[in-house]
Amino acid sequence: MLCDKCGKNNATTHIKQIINGVVTEHDLCSACAAKEGFGKFSNGSLAEMLSSMFGDIGAVGAGTKAVRCPVCGATFADIAETGKVGCADCYRTFYSELLPYLKRVHGTVKHTGKIPNSTPLAEKPQEETAENLRMELNRLVSEEKFEEAAVIRDKIKKLEEKGNE
Amino acid sequence: MSSWYAEKSPQDDIVVSTRIRLARNLSGIPFPARMTAEQRKDLNLKVKKAITESNTPFAKSLNYIDMSDVPQTEVMAMVERHIISPEFAGSNAERAIILSADESISIMIGEEDHIRIQVILGGFQLEKAYEIAEALDNLLYNSLNFAFDRNLGFLTECPTNLGTGLRASVMLHLPVTESSGEISRIADSVGKIGFTVRGMYGEGSKPIASMYQVSNQITLGISEKNALDNLKIITEQLIDKERGSREGLNRVKLEDTCFRALGILQNCRVLSSEEMMNLLSRIKLGISMGIIKTEAMPIKLLIEGQPYMLMKKYGQLEPEERDIYRANRMREALA
Ligand SMILES: [Zn+2]
Ligand SMILES: [Zn+2]
Repeated sequence: MLCDKCGKNNATTHIKQIINGVVTEHDLCSACAAKEGFGKFSNGSLAEMLSSMFGDIGAVGAGTKAVRCPVCGATFADIAETGKVGCADCYRTFYSELLPYLKRVHGTVKHTGKIPNSTPLAEKPQEETAENLRMELNRLVSEEKFEEAAVIRDKIKKLEEKGNE
Repeated sequence: MSSWYAEKSPQDDIVVSTRIRLARNLSGIPFPARMTAEQRKDLNLKVKKAITESNTPFAKSLNYIDMSDVPQTEVMAMVERHIISPEFAGSNAERAIILSADESISIMIGEEDHIRIQVILGGFQLEKAYEIAEALDNLLYNSLNFAFDRNLGFLTECPTNLGTGLRASVMLHLPVTESSGEISRIADSVGKIGFTVRGMYGEGSKPIASMYQVSNQITLGISEKNALDNLKIITEQLIDKERGSREGLNRVKLEDTCFRALGILQNCRVLSSEEMMNLLSRIKLGISMGIIKTEAMPIKLLIEGQPYMLMKKYGQLEPEERDIYRANRMREALA
């Protein structure tokens, strides 16, 4: 099979992307795959993929004070540089920055496997803590589902008002 | 009770081993790369307690081992037996493992993730291996606070493991499929459904002894059951293909190849590890085709002939000395 992009070389990389629910598939040669930022797809190096997506990592968040994860102290630049996420909380702190990468690696950001302490695949709603709601809010915003996001935002407000009483 | 490579196992004419790995982390503490020595020691003890104080048979059957108490030769020999990863062996940090007597269960603490549950069994035993891993997962979850998110699943240090944190793999012996030049085509087609094919010793390693490891690559948006079912189907197809191709071989030529390998192993005086592996691969083929009759188990010999396994048995050896001990061991086993 020839590369979809250049039509010259043999396609060696199959890419399946899901963007706004639409599946697109491409077969690319290694040169074209690298140009599109899929070069390191198979070993999934976060550092390399992020740098291919954002260009100069140092430029991410330039001009603003670097946000640090409250639990482990990592910045997004730390994560991008090492390819390692600092702690579980980083996924909340840097959710919107990580999201494009996660989608590219997995094609989706919806876990469908085991939920701890329940039978596999059971749809058990997670507890509505402010933390969980905020993560959900981030997800909805990054997916541009603003109406649903507004509902969640109101829930967080209510929870926080309760907490302040 | 013996190790995965030392037992007669289901479909082991083609499937050498089955491995399940689950990546789990605790919330509220940094992932291993950012942990302090204190946090590591604390984590080791927490996981140890979760097992030993559980009211389950695991409390008795599993042993906690502080890796700093294990001699370097044995650490490397554990890698050769596929009990721990090379990364884990190479780290100087405070690491520990929890191991069963037959070494089928190993829980690495403080590898890339806080907890890596591994179950390795001989032959083709996906369901059984997953069942054991899941029982351990549930047990640990009862007393440890696993990091989990509704959308991202189990949270892991490397985002490529998010979701189920499950890596299921089978090691296949595919000499005839390999010689027909079809491995790369197979690798391409299983790649399209989120599986990878690589050589015996993992990423980047060149295939040796016609052994190939097939494992799932995608962990998010696919359930454990789906991943296991897909791997099962792929494996069954590869088994059928290899068996089918074996039937079509020219019998005399096959006998020649197998008996030549046997001849070398029965008579050699110096034997490199690579040559040993490739020759044992042919012995294995010869046994499963009813050509070679022997009580010897080629995969067991292959593991026992690895450099650190030899030194574990015979003491510190220079590489040239190892080649001699290895040759002696093979002659003895295949006499
Ligand atoms: Zn191209
Ligand atoms: Zn963090």
